[in-house]
Amino acid sequence: MSSEAETLRKKFAELLSWERRKRREQILATLFCYALLAALLTLPFHGSLEMVISRWFIPISFFGLMAPFFLGRGRWRSSDSARALARVDKTLRLDERALTAWELLERNETRAAALMVLKQAGEKLTNLDPKALFRRSWSWQAYCAFPLLLLWLGLLWFDVGLRFDSDLQLSAPKSVAQKLREFSRELQEKAKNEGLRESLRMGRELEQVAQKGIDAKTGDEKFKADLAGMQKKIATMGKSAGEQQPLSAAESQQDLMDLKAELEAARDLLNIADAAKGAQELGKQWLDQLATLPQLKKQFEREGQAGQSLSQNDLKSFLDKLDKQATGELDRRTLLDAQQFLEQLMKQGQGEKGESDVRLAGQGERDSPDDGEKTNNRSNLPGKEPGKREAESPSLPEFQPGAAAHIKGLLGEGNSSGLVLKAKPSAGKSEVSQDEVIASYRRQAEVELNTERVPEGLKETIKNYFLSLGIGKE
Amino acid sequence: MEAVAEIEARMQRARRSFDDLKAEMARMIVGHEDLIEQVFIALVCGGHCLLEGVPGLGKTLMVRSLGEILSLSFSRIQFTPDLMPADITGTNVLTDDPSGRKIFEFQRGPVFAHIVLADEINRATPKTQSALLEAMQEQSVTVGGKVHRLENPFMVLATQNPIEMEGTYPLPEAQVDRFFFKLLLRYPTRDELARIADFTTAGPPAALREVLDTADILQMRQWVRDVPLADTVKDYAVRLVLSTHPQREPGKEAAPLAQKFVLYGSSPRGLQSVILAAKARALLAGRPNVSFEDIRQMLLPSLRHRLILNLEADAEGIGAEKILSEVVERVAEVS
Repeated sequence: MSSEAETLRKKFAELLSWERRKRREQILATLFCYALLAALLTLPFHGSLEMVISRWFIPISFFGLMAPFFLGRGRWRSSDSARALARVDKTLRLDERALTAWELLERNETRAAALMVLKQAGEKLTNLDPKALFRRSWSWQAYCAFPLLLLWLGLLWFDVGLRFDSDLQLSAPKSVAQKLREFSRELQEKAKNEGLRESLRMGRELEQVAQKGIDAKTGDEKFKADLAGMQKKIATMGKSAGEQQPLSAAESQQDLMDLKAELEAARDLLNIADAAKGAQELGKQWLDQLATLPQLKKQFEREGQAGQSLSQNDLKSFLDKLDKQATGELDRRTLLDAQQFLEQLMKQGQGEKGESDVRLAGQGERDSPDDGEKTNNRSNLPGKEPGKREAESPSLPEFQPGAAAHIKGLLGEGNSSGLVLKAKPSAGKSEVSQDEVIASYRRQAEVELNTERVPEGLKETIKNYFLSLGIGKE
Repeated sequence: MEAVAEIEARMQRARRSFDDLKAEMARMIVGHEDLIEQVFIALVCGGHCLLEGVPGLGKTLMVRSLGEILSLSFSRIQFTPDLMPADITGTNVLTDDPSGRKIFEFQRGPVFAHIVLADEINRATPKTQSALLEAMQEQSVTVGGKVHRLENPFMVLATQNPIEMEGTYPLPEAQVDRFFFKLLLRYPTRDELARIADFTTAGPPAALREVLDTADILQMRQWVRDVPLADTVKDYAVRLVLSTHPQREPGKEAAPLAQKFVLYGSSPRGLQSVILAAKARALLAGRPNVSFEDIRQMLLPSLRHRLILNLEADAEGIGAEKILSEVVERVAEVS
């Protein structure tokens, strides 16, 4: 009987060990699921943790925090053993023989009646395979764990949390790397909108450097040292771009953008004229339209030709050349802005101006007579964020009564730009030529057409409408 | 090994005896199989039963048949309001001894039998009821300062008529508690009624065969107590009994019906009854141990007369059966 009791004891040990193992696995799966859920639910607040702990370790931290509670609550008790054995009895219809035998073994009972129970239980349980009889059954937490893990990894991969929390963390102090990443993203957006290839490339490189710094949690001082190399690279690129495009160095940023818009309009005009009328009528048509494109006209005059003597192909190649030059100049200036931004970053913490000056160029810039000579003032620093009002108005040249005032700016949601005219009212006439107004509208239309706000199907209609404005006037 | 073989033989014998008893009873009594089992369980546990049912359901016949099959002496006492304690226990009468001297001799009452049928026990006065109940508890009667031992085994089967309550003396709760089981006799089904008609109107009644004797019953009483009971199963019975109590302490959970309608829950005697009956049930089923099902099956007959319900329960027609059913549903086998 002692050998039977020993066999039974081993069988019970095997069964209970299997049940314990299942319990542990279940607890771990539950913990894992809840840790991932907690990490996902607290995603908006990860920005504040970013300096202390990498986002990869947030679920692990939650896991560690919750583990004592779950492990304590789910620890194996003697009642769990009884429950497991009662389950065996129910499954094998043993009428609590297994449970009674287990307790009798625990109590080392040797009465004849007890031995009878052990004998009958032993007969029924000899061939018991706990793993086959009581297979694993996973709870919903276990089933959710893997999809949640994938979701978490996906969010990390696409960097969802950081973009989200960057809006919530306006008041939190940002590291140099974070500021650089923010700037590089704005730079890329601007470069994409304006077709500036070099700037786009540089923007991407800067973002990579910044992300590396954030991931490695590099200190500001060390990161600044790393940035020195990037600053030199930008300077070299800007220099080479300037050497290639000497044309527009004296033009203002706005003039260059106007020129690009006019070039686009002129190309469309050439295409329409080519399709609608004969080549002979092109010269007259072209001259009429040129009057409505002031920046282009200026360039023609600078080149010493009004375009009437040029063939259509010559005209097209001339326009392409101008476009290339204008783009190159914008690229150069953007790179220069980036270089100055990096300088500002490097000076941070050394008593220099702080974050308030760190803005993307373009939006804060206004016409100035000597725009070609850039200095370290507000006008050539990165612009304000969209939707933010300027804290102070830029200083303006004295308004002369009787002279034409040309107001340029973008109309649209979120952007607030324009000129505030300050002048004493005096006698005289104030007028703006129709050509300039039309050119201004056309520029605005060009900008709007490049955005996604205008439906694709309507772009052509709108473009034709603005082109027809000049024609209608004639 | 020999001991185990002996236990195995004992179990087989108990089971066979019970099967024989059931077969023999079935020749005389139609239906009531569960009732016969419970009466036999009470007998092998040394308890007494309170039978409740309308007249004519075969209570007396069943008890008489049981006595015949078990070769036990049987007596019947019809309880009436003018029945005196001495009519039950017996009394000292003046008589002449062989030398002609006048002496008091104890004349034994009907209680001196193995099986006593106390018919309509609630019709007698409390004083007479007490005399019987004392005999049930002590297994002896004292007359004239002399203790007279009752038969062993001794079992009282008292009956109550639930419909005629006028002029009756309901048993006090403390005395009802002394009954091991309270059993309800249900009305026969259509088929059973047809069989009863055949049994009683065609031919003479069958002669019953003895299947057990006094010694067998006393031996089985010992075997019942040897049946092993797991602590987990015992704990289940304890929790069931505790759940019949309306919990007054916060944090302790009671069945909602018990909480609302029970004035006093089961006494510890109720727990003893449940466990002992469960052991007997296991033995008669040829099992070496008590199961959860044994406990559940024995809960109702053991506890239904031990719950003291409040007036609200009476008004709403809630009985002990309903409360106990809810208790069984709510209490988990393993806590």
